[in-house]
Amino acid sequence: MKIKLSFPGRVEQAIVLTLFLCFFVNGFSQDNEITVTGKISSDSSVLLEEVNITLKSNPRIFTRSLPNGSYSIKVPADGTLVFSMVGYQIHEMKVNGRTVINVVMKMKDKGLEDVTVIGFGGTRKKTSMVSSITTISVKELQQPTGNLTNAIAGRVAGIISFQQSGEPGNGSDNSTFFIRGLSTFGTGKQDPLILIDGVESSSTDMARLQPDDISDFSVLKDASAASVYGARGANGVVLINTKTGKDGMPRFFVRSEMRVSGNTKNIDYADNIKYMNLANEATRTRSDKTVAEPYSQNKINHTIAGDDPYLYPNNNWIDQLIKKYTVNQNHYVSVNGGTAKAKYHVAASYGLDNGILNVDPINDFNSNVRLSKYSLRTTVNLNLTKTTEVIARMYGQFDDYKGPIGGRIDGVTYNEGGGYIFRLALKSNPVLFPAVYPHSMMPYIEHPLFGSYRLQLNGQLTSTLLTNPYAEMVKGFSAYKRSDLQPQIEIKQNLDFVTKGLNFRTMSYIRRYSFSNVTRQYSPFYYYADVKPDGKSYNLQVYNDGSVNSVGTTGSEYLDYGGLGVAIDSRIWLEGNLSYSRTFKDVHSVSGSLISYLSSYANGASFVFQGSLPRRNQGVSGRFTYGYDDRYLAEFNFGYNGSERFDASHRYGFFPSGGVGYRISNEKFFEPLLSKINDLKFRATYGLVGNDQIGDVNDRFFYLSTVSLNNGAYGASFGRNDGTATYYRPGVSISRYANTSITWEQSRSLNLGMDLRMFNAFELIVDVFRQHRTNILLPKTILESDLGLMATPQANYGELKTRGIDLSAKYERNITKNLYANIRGTFTYATSKMLVNDQLKYDKSLAHLSAIGWPISQQWGLIAERLFIDQKEVANSPRQFGDDGSGSAQNSIKAGDIKYRDINGDGIISNDDMVPIGYPRQPEIIYGFGASLRYKKFDFSFYFQGSARSSFFIDAAAIQPYNQVGGLQHGLLNVVANDHWSEENRNPYAFWPRLSQNRVGTYNVYPDGSAYNIGVNNAPSTWWMRNGNFLRLKNVDMGYNIGKVKRLGLTGGRVYLSATNLFILSSFKMWDVEMGGNGLGYPLQSVYNLGAEVSF
Amino acid sequence: MLTTVITSCKKFLDVVPDNVVTLEHAFKLRNEAEKYLFTLYSYLPRSGDGWYNPGFMGGDEIWLPEESETHWHPIFRIARGLQNKETPYFDEWRGISKGNSNTNDHRKIWQAIRQCNIFLENMRDMTKVPDISDYERQKWIGEAEFLKAFYHFYMLRQYGPIPIMDKNISVDGDVASSYSRRAPVDSCVNYISQLLDSAAQKLPITIADEINDLGRITQPIALAVKAKLLVTAASPLFNGNTDYAGFTDTEGKALFNPTFDITKWQKAKDAVWAAIQAAEANASTLYEYKGLQIPLSDVIKRQLSIRNAVTERWAKEHVWANSQSYFVNEALCMPPMERSQRGGVSTIRFELQGVWAAPIKIAKMFYSKNGVPIEEDNTLNFANIEELRTATAAESFYIEPNFVTSRLNFDREPRFYASLGFDGGVWYQYDATANGSDVNNYYVKAKNLEKAGLGHFTNWNETGYFIKKLVHWESVTNARTTWKQYPWPEIRLADLYLLYAEALNEVEPASATAIQYVDKIRQRAGLKGVVESWSNYSNNPGKYASQDGLREIIHRERLIELAFEGHRLWDLRRWKKAFSELNKDITGWTILGKTNETYYKERLVFSQRFMAPRDYFWPIGNYDIRRNPLLVENPGW
Repeated sequence: MKIKLSFPGRVEQAIVLTLFLCFFVNGFSQDNEITVTGKISSDSSVLLEEVNITLKSNPRIFTRSLPNGSYSIKVPADGTLVFSMVGYQIHEMKVNGRTVINVVMKMKDKGLEDVTVIGFGGTRKKTSMVSSITTISVKELQQPTGNLTNAIAGRVAGIISFQQSGEPGNGSDNSTFFIRGLSTFGTGKQDPLILIDGVESSSTDMARLQPDDISDFSVLKDASAASVYGARGANGVVLINTKTGKDGMPRFFVRSEMRVSGNTKNIDYADNIKYMNLANEATRTRSDKTVAEPYSQNKINHTIAGDDPYLYPNNNWIDQLIKKYTVNQNHYVSVNGGTAKAKYHVAASYGLDNGILNVDPINDFNSNVRLSKYSLRTTVNLNLTKTTEVIARMYGQFDDYKGPIGGRIDGVTYNEGGGYIFRLALKSNPVLFPAVYPHSMMPYIEHPLFGSYRLQLNGQLTSTLLTNPYAEMVKGFSAYKRSDLQPQIEIKQNLDFVTKGLNFRTMSYIRRYSFSNVTRQYSPFYYYADVKPDGKSYNLQVYNDGSVNSVGTTGSEYLDYGGLGVAIDSRIWLEGNLSYSRTFKDVHSVSGSLISYLSSYANGASFVFQGSLPRRNQGVSGRFTYGYDDRYLAEFNFGYNGSERFDASHRYGFFPSGGVGYRISNEKFFEPLLSKINDLKFRATYGLVGNDQIGDVNDRFFYLSTVSLNNGAYGASFGRNDGTATYYRPGVSISRYANTSITWEQSRSLNLGMDLRMFNAFELIVDVFRQHRTNILLPKTILESDLGLMATPQANYGELKTRGIDLSAKYERNITKNLYANIRGTFTYATSKMLVNDQLKYDKSLAHLSAIGWPISQQWGLIAERLFIDQKEVANSPRQFGDDGSGSAQNSIKAGDIKYRDINGDGIISNDDMVPIGYPRQPEIIYGFGASLRYKKFDFSFYFQGSARSSFFIDAAAIQPYNQVGGLQHGLLNVVANDHWSEENRNPYAFWPRLSQNRVGTYNVYPDGSAYNIGVNNAPSTWWMRNGNFLRLKNVDMGYNIGKVKRLGLTGGRVYLSATNLFILSSFKMWDVEMGGNGLGYPLQSVYNLGAEVSF
Repeated sequence: MLTTVITSCKKFLDVVPDNVVTLEHAFKLRNEAEKYLFTLYSYLPRSGDGWYNPGFMGGDEIWLPEESETHWHPIFRIARGLQNKETPYFDEWRGISKGNSNTNDHRKIWQAIRQCNIFLENMRDMTKVPDISDYERQKWIGEAEFLKAFYHFYMLRQYGPIPIMDKNISVDGDVASSYSRRAPVDSCVNYISQLLDSAAQKLPITIADEINDLGRITQPIALAVKAKLLVTAASPLFNGNTDYAGFTDTEGKALFNPTFDITKWQKAKDAVWAAIQAAEANASTLYEYKGLQIPLSDVIKRQLSIRNAVTERWAKEHVWANSQSYFVNEALCMPPMERSQRGGVSTIRFELQGVWAAPIKIAKMFYSKNGVPIEEDNTLNFANIEELRTATAAESFYIEPNFVTSRLNFDREPRFYASLGFDGGVWYQYDATANGSDVNNYYVKAKNLEKAGLGHFTNWNETGYFIKKLVHWESVTNARTTWKQYPWPEIRLADLYLLYAEALNEVEPASATAIQYVDKIRQRAGLKGVVESWSNYSNNPGKYASQDGLREIIHRERLIELAFEGHRLWDLRRWKKAFSELNKDITGWTILGKTNETYYKERLVFSQRFMAPRDYFWPIGNYDIRRNPLLVENPGW
């Protein structure tokens, strides 16, 4: 790592040299200079500040207008001044010896910004771009979600995004998003590279970003844009730059928001009388014999009467566990200003997200989710010399979280406590115990008197206590702290003195991230009501006090400690960038840049050898463009990258790309049309991008085998074993076979685009793309068992094609002087097609099992014909999974169970009968549209967002009523209660099949590696598949602009009311359809937000 | 400058330190290589664990509670006729669906063979492991060869013809080059047999350092496994079995030889004889309990001789005791006893479960006290097993005095009482009485709601017959249980004697020597010789004089002597008797009964179905068949 020292050393030398040269150059004073002053106003007569005024022949001579619109600049008398400001048309004015020049700036009709950020500090004029880059106005990101990732769905053409949980926390409510859809499979990285000020960031980092801090947000979609990122850009790149200071007096900006948040949709549970009656039915209906029903009529009657809530518990867990709404807040303050020499932007933010759990003050701690987010951002720009700029940034982001402890349900661990509690609400018996007995029943006992129930089986007491979800929620908490520090320095050196248009830039950052989580909990004491012989009064008895007859985990009065997860990592980054840009003879614009970077990432808490070794990349990239008259455009890019994880012979990859553009609207012959079609450009790019983040993050260095020479599982012991220890030695195991040829995943992509602007009001950008991903790292599970391999070998052989279209359109007008309106929308369609996968060569009879030709997240399932009509039909139909014909209640299929189709005709229903059904799990279409109106000082906007072409399975095993596993016994959804097959309602198309107390038959799934029986009726099938389409009113925002209030010193302000997720249109009603199969978890949130912003 | 960055950073991407562990380290020194040798042993099947030994629950010998998921082994599902090719149970080919769930078991036999090959390749390379003596190197190679052969034999027994994995197949090339095909049974047997010969030459006769090495493979073990292999190969399932006449691989090569070949029996006889001689030269004898320190009745001593032949650690009778698998299921065999002072019913039944149950047909299999089958006994009538009888004081070492129980439980041979516990039956445990006296020791009480009877929600005995044979007499059961686990006896001398008798009778019909070896077993079991017993007590007195008759006698003797030790499943298969035996009903007493009248009714537990020839071998399963186009599925699947 010697280079790290020498690299900046060289930069220093360069700087010194440059400074010297600068002074030398400045030594020449120029003759014939005059001072020009004047006022600048807009076409609506508003005095404009912050207008850049430069001398055309020497852009280094510049100034900016003051708040009163005035300016003063010393320039040659025959020079030309250029007035520019974002949002306004550039205005040129020859001085011609005048000393007062007043200027009226015309507002641009164009909505989209003039320049686009293209990465590595570069920007490009939009008109000369040939690659496919979406930019989004920062204003569109200003939404009341508290999580930036949730603001992009439907707003950014080219991004497929969806959100499946509303739980605040370490990434749990982040939207998942992919640029142009999922375009690779396997275990490697699938999501885009996110760079915030050039810093490689996670989606949670992005989630925490304050929209007010952002200056540019762009998404690089095609090979031409991303290939400079070489091995890291294959999945697309999200580039976000934050604001820098502008010179002038300190300008303060404050934004404060209060948000009321509630579930978008609640799940509808049946009442407990139905629950008990149908539980009895579920027992009766599966057994030919008379069996004991779980709930006596006496209990049901007393529950109806509401006699005693402790003897006849009647819990509505959702009401008891979940609040109707919660209140969150977000505050942001920034100050921005500076002089010509130094500028600064300092911003701080605080956000508080509360969970929606309903916690009584039963403990002295509150275990509801509470996430506090703090951030501090400082950016200082120093103009060391006229040609040298130093930008120092410091960013700190801190989370303090507290929430309930997660747990394990049906073989799956839920680390997010909120989602766990929501799931428990459905999975807990509502009538066998109360949440908690009143303290007054046993006043001398200090701990809460939680209720529970000791399960019986075959009339015998078992050692299982039913889970009390309330106790689970309040018994303790999990708390994490997350901090992220990023100091960053960037130096820009103008090298015009070497040759005009040459610039050098270097940037370096260090990032330190830490995360630690602790849990504290007590073990709840559970009680039950022991009815006295009179049958009316009762005593409370404890279940788990640790005495002889105690069952379950013994209770404890004190909190214990559990460490749960530590993450520490650091990244060092160094990049240098030499760029050149110049226009010759007014028509030949040439630019080029060469970029070199080093990156080293170290995980300080990986706990495995390979994971502890640093992850490194280095590379050189280049970008060369040529434009003739902004009419014919061409560019060539490349990335030449090395990654530490491959064998030396395959360590470097070369990723070239190229593109051409034709701006037909700049042609002479187009001139007659220009008044209608203002701008029209066609673009085409093709190129190669790589992905080195293949395989599991802890599974790198594929050229090495992974061997354990001390694996206890393969040990053996010998010896007499008669008091003296046996002779034991551990054994040898291989968890990976070496493969030196494993290398980059590659993506070849073609992009064709068109930019169109018409009538000075309408804009349309369309891109169609086709991508061919090869070299996807996949295990070779196609190898047969008798080879005796201990690990599945891996190789780069997966292939996938994706294609699609994305477009954005916008129409905006100043309808009258006071009324402005725009309508805008985006549409993204991306689909994939598997070409080579790790799968068998299925013969004709099983061709339906093949994933080849199907999208990545295509789902397979059985075809459910309907419910069986009667026993005779069951007997004459193919045997279904797990039906052993023994006639036992648990393992035999009956009328009212789902009848599946025997696709391969082998007489049994098995996994071989699975066919591709429905759309992929991830939506293929994401779209959005909305409008904004501004009338005088009022503004109003709304935005709809939609998703189409996705399907999901209702997790039938998760909602199967009465199913008891361990201490969990499922509740009853109203939809099941109202529409299920029964002897009285022999509807072969009822929503739910014949009720049962337990899972019927055996159908195994592997939720986390181990087989788990979910029952035959619950198998994935068309019966449970639903359409994931929806259209939701994502955002409404209305505000009032205060404008300048001199009396208060305000330079601007706005009060506003906004809301997100107001309503949804979807054919699926059980839960918020965007959550898909995750619907029993923490729901998405509707948020109503009252906010104010002021600047002064 | 940019080029400087790249050139001076060539090392930048070399983040892996030089000394990361690779497979080569395993053979640098003896100390490391020894761990590799132990790795080969670690794959030995866990025969002393019901989850992993298909012989216990895969046939009709031991039955489990059918309503309790807790005891639903994958292997028991096979007994219940649920075997399938979609997701085969006890899938050794893939190495899954063993144990108590469908999860992967890391002890995969094919893996073991690959490991053996890696070890052999390296140990045969004299440049590797330079610090090992030539003698020890040869010995280790012998052990590895034995294990490689044994693992092949293990697969052969379960699947029939298998691919011979003599060399490891590289996986670097394309997938098609990795396909292997099944070899004909005769080739498999010859291959394994030669490998065992090669191993036997290199292996020591005896273990010198018993403290550290007992359980390592010796020459007698290698010869005994060879004996089992060749007897298996000579048996009707493999020798001249016409059921598989049309069973060929993808090239049309026949995998079974349909022509009977008597020389296979000859070779088998010679191999067994060699194994017996090697074992006896290594001081192996049939176990007899001497028990001088405790005053015990002869009846109980005889029961202990029979029980301890299995449960005594490292008994001289154990030709091969597997130190990788001690018997761990004593709790599943032992029922709670009347005199237990511990806790309530449910607590004790987690520790003393007694769920392993012998069907009544197994109880009937044992001889009468006259040493002949109960259906042949010309002096005792067992026709009506529901007939009740009261035990006398004289029978107190068999049944509790004055206890009323089934006629089936009276007048039986010592092995019946040594092997089975039943309602009212004696169950001698050392800790049941002060000083280990056998007077007033344990008697099982198995009616509904009694200590050992039905009444627990997961643990009960389905038939009323408990597997006493596998419980060590010194295990502690009346305080917190401490099981005296023992290395599982894979091969006992008794097993070899009976194999010898069996093979001899095939090549020398009704051989007197064969009878002589059966009689050695009967003598230890407290029975008179075959000739004497049959002549005096059988209604078929001349049975032993014919080859078929003697074969029947030897078979039954074997099933009785080796009952509950995991042999019956394989013996019924190789004799091709599984079709007749495994299509019978599984019955037990009416365990819901609380009185003599209700309890002692024979109750149908399950109607077993065995499809021939399909069920003689496991299905390889769709998973592997679909991966390898050269692999053919077993007939019927």
